[in-house]
Amino acid sequence: MTGVLVATAPILAHDFWLEPSAFRLEPGASVALRLRVGEHFVGDALPRHPAMLSQFIAAGPGGMRPVPGQDGKDPAGVLRVEQPGLVVVGYRSRHSFVEQKPDKFDAYLVEEGLDRIAAVRATQKSTGLVRELFSRCAKALLVAGPGGGSGHDRILGFTLELVPEKNPYMMRAGGALPVRLLYEGQPLAGALIVAMNRADPSTKVRARSGADGRVSLGLSRDGAWLIKAVHMIPAAAGSGAQWESLWASLTFELAGPPAARPVKKRQQ
Amino acid sequence: MWLPVLALLALTPVGGVAHEMGSTRVAIWISADRYRVEIVTDAQALADKLAAASREAPGTVLGAPEERGFEERLRERVTLAFDGVPGDPAVSYAVAPATRDIASAVTIELTGLLPDGAQTLEWTYGWTYAAYSLTVHRPNQVQPSVSWLNGGESSAPIDLTGPAPVDSRLQVAVRYLRLGFTHIVPYGLDHVLFVLGIFLLTRQLRPLLMQVTAFTVAHSLTLGLSIFGVVAVAPAVVEPLIALSIVYVAIENLLVRTVKPWRVAVVFAFGLLHGLGFAGVLQELGLPRSELVTALVTFNLGVEAGQLAVIAVAFLLVGVWFGHRPWYRRRIVMPASVLIAGVGVYWTIQRLAV
Repeated sequence: MTGVLVATAPILAHDFWLEPSAFRLEPGASVALRLRVGEHFVGDALPRHPAMLSQFIAAGPGGMRPVPGQDGKDPAGVLRVEQPGLVVVGYRSRHSFVEQKPDKFDAYLVEEGLDRIAAVRATQKSTGLVRELFSRCAKALLVAGPGGGSGHDRILGFTLELVPEKNPYMMRAGGALPVRLLYEGQPLAGALIVAMNRADPSTKVRARSGADGRVSLGLSRDGAWLIKAVHMIPAAAGSGAQWESLWASLTFELAGPPAARPVKKRQQ
Repeated sequence: MWLPVLALLALTPVGGVAHEMGSTRVAIWISADRYRVEIVTDAQALADKLAAASREAPGTVLGAPEERGFEERLRERVTLAFDGVPGDPAVSYAVAPATRDIASAVTIELTGLLPDGAQTLEWTYGWTYAAYSLTVHRPNQVQPSVSWLNGGESSAPIDLTGPAPVDSRLQVAVRYLRLGFTHIVPYGLDHVLFVLGIFLLTRQLRPLLMQVTAFTVAHSLTLGLSIFGVVAVAPAVVEPLIALSIVYVAIENLLVRTVKPWRVAVVFAFGLLHGLGFAGVLQELGLPRSELVTALVTFNLGVEAGQLAVIAVAFLLVGVWFGHRPWYRRRIVMPASVLIAGVGVYWTIQRLAV
């Protein structure tokens, strides 16, 4: 209860992800989809808000459809999955903005690996508050029924999008997941892509995307994973902000190594 | 029940939102000599944050308050500064279980005495990533102030000294009269439709007055009984039934031409429901303890005035001109009742789904 808190005011840049009530479902079951904002895979729930939501969709064996939900409610969406197979859920937010002191903003650029922007900032002399527009492009991979299904590499067309090039439900902990980062549909090179596991979120798997926008992430543990990437561009003229950031994320669950199989037997 | 959601939607500025608005709500009540802070937040999110702060595995559930240094960790992330000097509140919390589609929430309460002569209070809460709403209730203030804060951000200084003069009985009366009226026009479209439903059935003064009187007596009764805590019915039950009452009167308008004896009794029963609805609103608005009866009576009078205004306007616009025409029932009463019934059905479904 001292002034310490004021001195360490948090950096106002948080991760955003979709958190389903379960990643593996029985066909015909409903799954609650919560929007989470936070860090190290720990976050607060955001209720569904019409002014914040741009797109909330699910693409699966039955085609693409909107995720229903009630405004003002958390969970933000509830989806009934009828057919067995892989379902890609996507949430695209509208713009929000945040203002930060320059030192906080620069610290955040370093933390998110936005080196190119940091280099530009270093050549500028700015002392005022930095105003930044930001928006979210979150995806979650769910699977209904036995087997892994296909369609994991489905592109939803978000401005910034993480696309898994292997079906995580067809692999196990200890394997490597190739992921591609797309910006406006084109591969984005040199971006920092970070993966973390729910059970040990402070241990991060980090990689920079290659010229083809690809990284290969070694995912050692089973359980829920969050992969994220941030991209920043100069904000459009007339937006009132200096910078605009886009936050892509991907959540899914990985089965344990073969030794952990007996646990899975209960599902059949 | 509806008010927080409506407030959330109403607070949206045009062309983008400043904050990513989370589900955490903080309310501060200031009385003459004490303060009470209530933090309502998602129980699982808090449990995860507590686990992360303790470097434990996530997925645990929130248990007893003394567990895992909860109070200590909370105190590190909360500041109540009175004129810049941190206060030392007592901390307690309770977990409300999850319902069908609402995640379980935890209510943390911080209470204490206001330091002598304190002028301002600054509130800071750092244990949230999403923005949260801060509602401040000060003495003698009917409308609390609401603002949105980011985690770690300090509130604007809250003035503890004013507004000092207690409102006079007349001021309370005028204010609640207005609140009662505006609760019908323009905010109470469901009540407006119900009253229009009553109006449409008959142009004769006597049966109209009988229905209006039955409705008034009934809703005054339950409004009063609710406010004094004699009866309590959850809004989840009352609100769909109010919507259903609209459907009923509109459909009866289609089926019968005159006021049947049961109609007055039914309207009385529905009046009991609407009174419970008014009570919910009045409780959310807050009632001054010192002038409870004044506020209650004038709010009810305001509601009454609002209903009579609806009937008067409907009479002047439609009744006077077309009421005696042979096609009045066919071209006005029937289509309007169908429309009202339709809206009522829609509301019933919508409110049941909440």
